[in-house]
Amino acid sequence: MARDLCPSVKNILLLDSEGKRVAVKYYSDDWPTNSSKLAFEKSVFTKTLKSNARVEAEISMFENNIVIYKFVQDLHFFVTGGEEENELILATVLQGFFDAVALLLRSNVDKREALENLDLILLCLDEIVDGGIILETDASIIAGKVATHSMDADAPLSEQTITQAWATAREHLTRTLLS
Amino acid sequence: MAQPLVKKDDDRDDEAEYSPFLGIEKGAVLQEARVFNDPQLDPRRCSQVITKLLYLLNQGETFTKVEATEVFFAVTKLFQSRDIGLRRMVYLMIKELSPSADEVIIVTSSLMKDMNSKTDMYRANAIRVLCRITDGTLLTQIERYLKQAIVDKNPVVASAALVSGIHLLQTNPEIVKRWSNEVQEAVQSRAALVQFHALGLLHQIRQNDRLAVSKLVTSLTRGTVRSPLAQCLLIRYTSQVIRESATSTQTGDRPFYDFLEGCLRHKAEMVIFEAARAITELNGMNKDESFEEILKIRKTKFGPSMPNIKA
Repeated sequence: MARDLCPSVKNILLLDSEGKRVAVKYYSDDWPTNSSKLAFEKSVFTKTLKSNARVEAEISMFENNIVIYKFVQDLHFFVTGGEEENELILATVLQGFFDAVALLLRSNVDKREALENLDLILLCLDEIVDGGIILETDASIIAGKVATHSMDADAPLSEQTITQAWATAREHLTRTLLS
Repeated sequence: MAQPLVKKDDDRDDEAEYSPFLGIEKGAVLQEARVFNDPQLDPRRCSQVITKLLYLLNQGETFTKVEATEVFFAVTKLFQSRDIGLRRMVYLMIKELSPSADEVIIVTSSLMKDMNSKTDMYRANAIRVLCRITDGTLLTQIERYLKQAIVDKNPVVASAALVSGIHLLQTNPEIVKRWSNEVQEAVQSRAALVQFHALGLLHQIRQNDRLAVSKLVTSLTRGTVRSPLAQCLLIRYTSQVIRESATSTQTGDRPFYDFLEGCLRHKAEMVIFEAARAITELNGMNKDESFEEILKIRKTKFGPSMPNIKA
């Protein structure tokens, strides 16, 4: 019962502009079969299609769940929690995922780039939520944990360059989003 | 329909359906996985094959028991490579495959070695993998490493152990409860999310002891809370204490109410929202009234940075 007091994520979905999966991760038994998952994805995708979630994140309710979502290019990001969940916590998870992906893909946030770097996306998901429990919400920390895998552990200098590159990428991304 | 413009860059097909996984087929990828058995491992190649396998699984493809076992055994060979990137992919793969008890034994010593590695990313992730695939017997063997990890200086390692503890509490509560002291120490951590995870675990360990929960809440509402997430947890626990308090006098609960009201002035929006919700629910409002109340509070407190609510 106390388990319910801990903020919990039910799934994180990255779909393309046709609602097809790029990368998805489920942390709940609510959708036990693949077909039930696909049905949920289709429902969520269709109902949010006409929204204006490119400027800022939006929120919607489906089947007793809260879904926070944001779109960029041909990618649709979704985070789902239970209806009793704090939606701002879910929004923070979404923002962390969204921004971390932007950092990892060096601001080329589209489906092609995501698929070319699917390993980074999957590692990214792995560093955000563990079995439904939020691990990390800060995008630079998330991206940092993912990127270390491509770094030589004995080369601290490269860390500096990457941090700089991220700062630039982040700046660029902010400018893009604000324009 | 107009033809898409031909892109100048030769590498880019202008094919709208382009995907690096175009035409991917399970059987072919499983064949490719045989490179895992090569004495001279090519880490990049192996990582690519794992990515393809994970892609297939993510798209809803399933492995038969035989296929899963074969892939698992092949993947275990990859522990011989010291490539960090490949090791991370191996961890992901193991978690996806959910090996059975007798398969787990094969990777236990490799994972335990990683758990004590000098590379912190190995330690944190090896802990998470081990705890995901462990059973009670293995858990008692690695218990002391987990207790050390909980109070590790590196927050990534500590969080990995604490979150794993929260999961393990469901299946092996008697073991995890022995970690109380370490978890208590982790609650004092200066690292933001370590405190959050420790608080979550400690509360669950003590959940059946109302007095202990009440003391935990009291000490923290007076102490330093290092992240909005931890603050939200505290708000939830405070509400629970108020609801369950035997005396239920206003005076007895006053400090707890004060704490909740103080949270309305917190700088993090999630905390304000959590507190507003807690207060309205404690005031006996039903969900719709509560929602209206919260909307009012939000309108006055927040500007356009809030997510739009769509009914």
